[in-house]
Amino acid sequence: MIAAPRRRLSAEDWRNLRTALPFIAPWIVGFLAFTVYPIVYSLYLSFTHYSGFGDATPAGLDNFKHMAEDPLFWQSLGNTMYYTALAVPIGVVVAIALALMMNQNLREVAFYRAAFYLPSILPLFALTFIFIVLLNPGFGLVDYLLELIHIPAVNWLGDAHWTKISVVMLAQLGAGGPALIFLAALRAVPGELYEAARLEGAGALRRFWKITVPLITPVILFDLIYGTILGVQIFTPAFVLAGGTSGGGAYTTGPDNSLLFYVYYLYKNAFQYSDMGYASAMAWVLFIMSIVLSFAIMRWSRQWVHYEGA
Amino acid sequence: MRLLPGRGIPVLLLSVVVVAACSTGGTSSGAPLPGCNSGTKQALFWTSHTPPDTDSEQNIVNNFNKQSKTTCVKMVAVPGSETDIAKLTTAVRGGTGPDIYELDRFTVAERAAAGVLTDLSSYGAADMASNYLDFAWKEALFKGKPYALPDDTDARVLYYNKDMMQAAGEDPSQLDIAKGAPTVALVRTLANKLNKKTNGKYTVVGFDPRLNQGWHYTWGFAYGGSFFDASTCKVTPDDPKIVQAFKDMFWDWAGSLGVSDLQTFESTYAPDTPPLPQAQDAFITGHLGMVVSGDWMIGLLQKYAPNLHYGITYIPVPNQGDTPATWAGGWSVVIPKGAKNGSGGWEFMKYFAGEDGQRTYTQQTTHMPTWKSLLTDTSLFPGDHALFVKQLPVAHSRPALPVGAFYWDQLTIAQSDAEHHTKDPGAALKAAADATNAKLQPFCPIAT
Repeated sequence: MIAAPRRRLSAEDWRNLRTALPFIAPWIVGFLAFTVYPIVYSLYLSFTHYSGFGDATPAGLDNFKHMAEDPLFWQSLGNTMYYTALAVPIGVVVAIALALMMNQNLREVAFYRAAFYLPSILPLFALTFIFIVLLNPGFGLVDYLLELIHIPAVNWLGDAHWTKISVVMLAQLGAGGPALIFLAALRAVPGELYEAARLEGAGALRRFWKITVPLITPVILFDLIYGTILGVQIFTPAFVLAGGTSGGGAYTTGPDNSLLFYVYYLYKNAFQYSDMGYASAMAWVLFIMSIVLSFAIMRWSRQWVHYEGA
Repeated sequence: MRLLPGRGIPVLLLSVVVVAACSTGGTSSGAPLPGCNSGTKQALFWTSHTPPDTDSEQNIVNNFNKQSKTTCVKMVAVPGSETDIAKLTTAVRGGTGPDIYELDRFTVAERAAAGVLTDLSSYGAADMASNYLDFAWKEALFKGKPYALPDDTDARVLYYNKDMMQAAGEDPSQLDIAKGAPTVALVRTLANKLNKKTNGKYTVVGFDPRLNQGWHYTWGFAYGGSFFDASTCKVTPDDPKIVQAFKDMFWDWAGSLGVSDLQTFESTYAPDTPPLPQAQDAFITGHLGMVVSGDWMIGLLQKYAPNLHYGITYIPVPNQGDTPATWAGGWSVVIPKGAKNGSGGWEFMKYFAGEDGQRTYTQQTTHMPTWKSLLTDTSLFPGDHALFVKQLPVAHSRPALPVGAFYWDQLTIAQSDAEHHTKDPGAALKAAADATNAKLQPFCPIAT
């Protein structure tokens, strides 16, 4: 296909642009002031020692070198990767399952869609508090149900082995959002493909694996990348679960530091230890890691994403 | 097609004017609040405390507002904790901070070093030094300059439930304070007799060495340890006495109870998140036989469990005859940088952390004052409260370091490592020392 030649802006186009610019100027100013400037400024800060007040003093690569020998940095990175590696794939499966349920040809489907989506729009802070009650080892509903079927109760939030699993479970309450995107993808799959497969004798499972899954792989890819970027930034549930709001906990970041996620550690450095330089350096490392992970997933996706018409 | 030919900019300007006209401004000056005298100027006071302490603080604010002819204080409860001042930091940096902030005193040096606080020398704060307990005043200094006024203090002791002991066949008089500090071995023996399990889970624990005020500092001081060496400007959590305290209390004792079982007990009866209402404290509800807690517990017991038969004694010591030890903490009031009404803030601080304010706070919260002359007023310390006052002259205090919050967290991590047996106490505390000293070194030497 030959690319269309670029059209030069006419005098009227320029006039329109001049008229439009003041309207979008607030956004441009906001974008420059509140997004571009902080990003560039944090890059500068990452090479300094800075408390957040007064003058920043140059630190060269000190902050980055310190990361290499800071055990809490590595622990927070490990916790975050552990969480992301579990939460993202499970999140995709849960979202697809929800989308399939939302896609049923039932009279009450609108009610189900609203019910499945509802937890996604509740504040994460509130959801986390509800979760704490549900997971209480003495009075919680989850352990009660487990014991009913003779599975030993688990101390979800007090045992370092289970704290991150708890956060992964909590994250699934937000699956309603991606599920809506998957629902749109499911409804875009041409019906005649299913019809032809049915005539050929393909069962429901076969139709799902051979038609549905390949045709929604672009959305799966989107969800994987989006979920990974959000996953490595996990903060709020850990902050609430670890008692960041009360400050009186026996553990500052969950038992055995098991809830010390990357951004939580970054937050502590910035706002508890007044080390904005180190926190900025951590933020940039996280940014670069997110890019690398996204590119890795994109490259991997060439092997399994199916673009219709490509 | 042209977009709104010739009208775009005027429409935009009009919109800006309309939006600006509808906004409320948001400055803190303005008409005085109800209860304030006319002609007074508002000063904003932020506290991260919660009820019942904030009830008392509001009373102090109301009393101040009644008598001040120049300042009207508005108190606002904000998110935050002993070591987390994110709300304050961002507000001060954004030019919207308060005029007065209540700050955990052991972090004053740290926040002053970071540049968040106003040096109070120009207000004449140094002249007030002689009114305050020496250790509390020292905590309010950074590089010899005052950055805070100490507004309260506390001390820690061992509370024990006499009824539970008798039910277990033990004589509670073994812990009578007249006999001096009990040994760790005695308390452990008694505590083990109180433990109860139902379906494999603790429903009663005799004593949980890490609960409530069972902190690293508590046991380190009880074992005679020193956390900071001023002569070398180094933190010393790897002091052999502190290592021994960690070994006895966290590695051995918590380990013998089963850390996992203990965690389940704490999550059930004493969760930190969300913190239980104080009426449901595990000691008050009879799920805990003994607990290390502060003087504020007296007020809670009076309020929520007036019929509970409890006793108070010193924090356990490692050997019979050892000198008992406790530590005193407390809070302070500061003027953050960029305060719009600093002089009003100072006027309030002098009242809040002065004789009148601290008298009210002591009476209503069973904390202790840092204002020396109040300590001789026995009417403020009825019953068991007097014991705490007696402990103050010999109480330890946490080292006031520019890395105090970081040091606290490092000690907490070492404590967790010891409890979970992930690191030997000596190695865990050495790691805490190394990490903290690396952060501390740029501030050395420290002059207080």
